[in-house]
Amino acid sequence: MTDLTVPAMPLARIVRAYISDAAFESLRLFRTPAFSIPILAMPLIFYSLFGVVLNGKATHIPDVANFMFVGWTVYGVMGPGLFGFGILVAVERNMGLLTFKRALPMPTGAYLAAKLLMAYVFASVVMAMLVGLAVSVGHVTLPALVLARMALAMSFGVIPACAVGLFIGSYAPASSAAAFANITYLGMAFLSGLFFPLSGFLHDIRWIWPTYHLSQIARAAGGLPSEGQPLTHVATLAGMTAVLIALAARKLSRKG
Amino acid sequence: MAVSSRTTLASLSGVKKRFGATVALDGLDLQVRAGELLSVLGPNGAGKTTAIAILLGLQQADAGEARLFGRSPHDLAARRGVGVMMQEVQLPDALRVGDLIRQVSAYYPEPLSFAEAVARAGVEKLVNRPYIKLSGGQKRQAQFALAICGRPRLLFLDEPTTGLDVTARETMWATVRGLVKDGVSIVLTTHYIEEAEALADRVVVMAKGRSIAEGTVKDIRALVVRKRVDCATATDAAAIEAWPNVTAVVRDGAHISITTTDAEGVVRRLLAADKALSDLEVRRAGLSEAFAELTSEPAAEEVAA
Repeated sequence: MTDLTVPAMPLARIVRAYISDAAFESLRLFRTPAFSIPILAMPLIFYSLFGVVLNGKATHIPDVANFMFVGWTVYGVMGPGLFGFGILVAVERNMGLLTFKRALPMPTGAYLAAKLLMAYVFASVVMAMLVGLAVSVGHVTLPALVLARMALAMSFGVIPACAVGLFIGSYAPASSAAAFANITYLGMAFLSGLFFPLSGFLHDIRWIWPTYHLSQIARAAGGLPSEGQPLTHVATLAGMTAVLIALAARKLSRKG
Repeated sequence: MAVSSRTTLASLSGVKKRFGATVALDGLDLQVRAGELLSVLGPNGAGKTTAIAILLGLQQADAGEARLFGRSPHDLAARRGVGVMMQEVQLPDALRVGDLIRQVSAYYPEPLSFAEAVARAGVEKLVNRPYIKLSGGQKRQAQFALAICGRPRLLFLDEPTTGLDVTARETMWATVRGLVKDGVSIVLTTHYIEEAEALADRVVVMAKGRSIAEGTVKDIRALVVRKRVDCATATDAAAIEAWPNVTAVVRDGAHISITTTDAEGVVRRLLAADKALSDLEVRRAGLSEAFAELTSEPAAEEVAA
């Protein structure tokens, strides 16, 4: 070994570092009730209450049952990414964790990759719970394969959710990031017509919300009536994601 | 191997850095050589933390060059040889100490085994405890474990023993000495001068963004002409303070402690003034006094002289 040599990092160990980072990020958030309870329990409670119980006999109509299922699942899928990035990036920026990690030889992008994978893990758990609820008490009678296809389509919503969260987390101060994330999350869900049909001005601007596009993608994947072309929705979500990430990166690279 | 022929693992050459109107580093040169424990001392605001941050690639120098293992500090490959214990850092609260060690170890090519990292840092009892439940001192021990777990060739320790009890501090010192024996280079910034005195092969004293003195602990002490004169005497402290070349006088009961740049002259006057004087002792200033003299303001120095 010459004097200035540092052992090289084999590819297998780099991959392992990404996986271990994602696993520990998920583990710590499952162990953080302030994160895991709202993210996992709220969609379940809201869907049971507003989607099933309060709709009474109306849920026996397949269109209503499916509408509620798609709406609340889209809501549930967006949560982990939005809050995982929105609040945590702001808080971790503030507490010096990011500085410490930047001093470590953490592989490039592992910090964000870990959060993205964590969001997938949480979103998968949420979807599994909501699908279970939908078929057991939600009067959703779609075949298992169709439900799986819808779940797969909706899982892609994790990415734009992370982008929205990253945008909030990069700009909002740690003290108010949670408030911004909550307002965005609820606003986005209600104003895109996830839970009730829209009319007038709100209906005209529903396309500005990622949740609207994701719900249309999910409906198309499930063979349900949907608006517009699925590919247009995918392209719009991809565009929104790119713009939000670019804005966040600009802010983070300036101030860290 | 002679110190001068050792490889330089990390260096700053003519590094300048300012934050707005404040000059943090003003042409700093610093070398960290293979196998040495280098202690960086300096008052608050001397630029120690900024110097380390630039060496670690956390900040960008305005001018000059930073090298880590012959590469840019921004190079991931360079940082794979480095372990870090920072001063102000909070770690993910919900993870246990063992989880954190496993997570950080995964970033390195040839880390210590889990058991070895735990044993060397002396954190056996903390492994299964969530980080948030640890006391301040235990957190420092956990952070020390994270600094050494990657088997780094170069270790940065920023105020490592703050908040530790005596036993934990002894354990950390012993581990640090063991690491140096194994050939690890260490950069230690500390406010505890006795820590530098106990551990350092070489000391760099910083003030106002520059290195103002550099050498072994003995070299630094020798730079300083001040001596301490202790004795039991009835002579009035205020009177002694007015003597030439006396910088400070402290009375404690019958005992009196005088800091002076002219020990011989002071002793002569003391003996002349008080025939009953006893317990006379003259010592070279410790690193602490040397440090105070080196980093004091020039104006204050003139007043004292």
